[in-house]
Amino acid sequence: MPDSAATVPGRRTGFIDGVRVIFARETGAYFDSAIAYVYAAVFLLLAHAIFMNGFFLESVLDLGEYFRVLPFLLALFIPAVTMRSWAEERSQGTFELLMTLPLRSFAVVLGKYFASLGFYLAVLAGSFPLVLMLLFLGKPDLGLIAASFAGAVLLGALFLAIGIFISGLTREQIVAFVLSTFACALLVLSGEVKVVEVLDGLTPSWQVGTWLYETVSVLPHYESFCRGVITLGDTAYFAITSAFFLAMNEITLKLARY
Amino acid sequence: MITVDKLTKRFANLTAVSSVSFALEPGELVGFVGPNGAGKSTLLKMLSTFLYPTSGRITIDGIDASKDPLEVRRRIGYLAGDTPLYPEMRADRFLAFLGKAHGLRGRALEERLRWVIDACGLEDALRKRIKECSTGFRKRIGLAGALVHDPKVIILDEPTHGLDPLQVVAFRDLLGRLKPGRTIILSSHIISEVAHISDRLLIIHEGVLLADGSLEELAAREGLPHDDLEGLFLKLVKGRGQEAVKAAHAG
Repeated sequence: MPDSAATVPGRRTGFIDGVRVIFARETGAYFDSAIAYVYAAVFLLLAHAIFMNGFFLESVLDLGEYFRVLPFLLALFIPAVTMRSWAEERSQGTFELLMTLPLRSFAVVLGKYFASLGFYLAVLAGSFPLVLMLLFLGKPDLGLIAASFAGAVLLGALFLAIGIFISGLTREQIVAFVLSTFACALLVLSGEVKVVEVLDGLTPSWQVGTWLYETVSVLPHYESFCRGVITLGDTAYFAITSAFFLAMNEITLKLARY
Repeated sequence: MITVDKLTKRFANLTAVSSVSFALEPGELVGFVGPNGAGKSTLLKMLSTFLYPTSGRITIDGIDASKDPLEVRRRIGYLAGDTPLYPEMRADRFLAFLGKAHGLRGRALEERLRWVIDACGLEDALRKRIKECSTGFRKRIGLAGALVHDPKVIILDEPTHGLDPLQVVAFRDLLGRLKPGRTIILSSHIISEVAHISDRLLIIHEGVLLADGSLEELAAREGLPHDDLEGLFLKLVKGRGQEAVKAAHAG
């Protein structure tokens, strides 16, 4: 009887099982939160409004304008999604609960990450009616659209990794939001031609704008996808930088317990 | 079951726990007592593997906590002092989440859930979101979460805080039922809360273990009647305790 005989549960929770358990809890938390639906609605409304405006002005059968604006919107939307990830755990004390479960800390990080990715993909799927509309109106380049969506997924995946990492540094959600927005905006704005020109103009001998564009910005990698070009280099860039921030997330979680 | 050897925890200039050693056996119910800020919670956080010790060693069920913390966590049921719960989750889903995290599935999970729900009297709160439950129910949900995987070691930080007298009696009864075969550690800053149900008391002050023994042993050692709990506590902490703390911190 459980009253009198303590036992150790039959099997150790494996890494994948750990990811799955955390993923399920976090996914439930996302889809159970009214504020998440508000973020998603605002994001889709803005993205669609900007697309429709360009679409009616230029009458071109593609989603180019949508994908051009997307990085700027994601720099705001994704920090709003990830800000609660760890900061809320810390503020409500459940960080201690999570870190004393028999799960590898990286499994917990990945569970949280994949749940946020799932939520992002669900929101991104809200753009599919635009594709259906283009198909109804004519024959858009579906290959280009698919490549652009792939770029949007990878860009979002990177921003989510950054947002979750920054959320792990603080117990204040608003601090996590501001810092993540700043980081994502830096990665996007450093790839904007006008910003590059202004920075180069301010630092003619150092060419800071060009340096940021070539080394820091995500836009050159993202824009390749939006041109319909999927290269191993660009894909690896997103995969490696996302993995880097997730690994950093795990390290900072461990450091917080010293 | 639990061996703690010269355990120390320092935060910057503060020594929260200073070279504490003790050993606990299965079937023992032990009360950690000390004033607020004595280092009880820090010690329990290290036992739960949440905090890494600065030095020293913890062995639970023969497993070194620093070498295999996951295997140690499978054997521990830990309820932190502030009863951390997910307020948006339903109580039943929260308990199922903890059970799954401990590797329970299918019928084993169902059986354990049924047992903790019954043992902690949670039937009325199961379908509610945790944030809608009273403080007493939240504490019981936390306790159920700590017991869901049938741990060999149960560590409860200030477990009766927020419970009404009837719930405290039910809680003590539950601990009595759980005791055989398990090691149970309770902490409190109020000696009377744990003295009468504990087989052993560990008195901690400023991170130093001042006394270790049954209530009767400690009272006899200090020349006090064993029902003078506050007198015993004050004598240990304010009298000999100050010298012991000074000596430990100097050493």
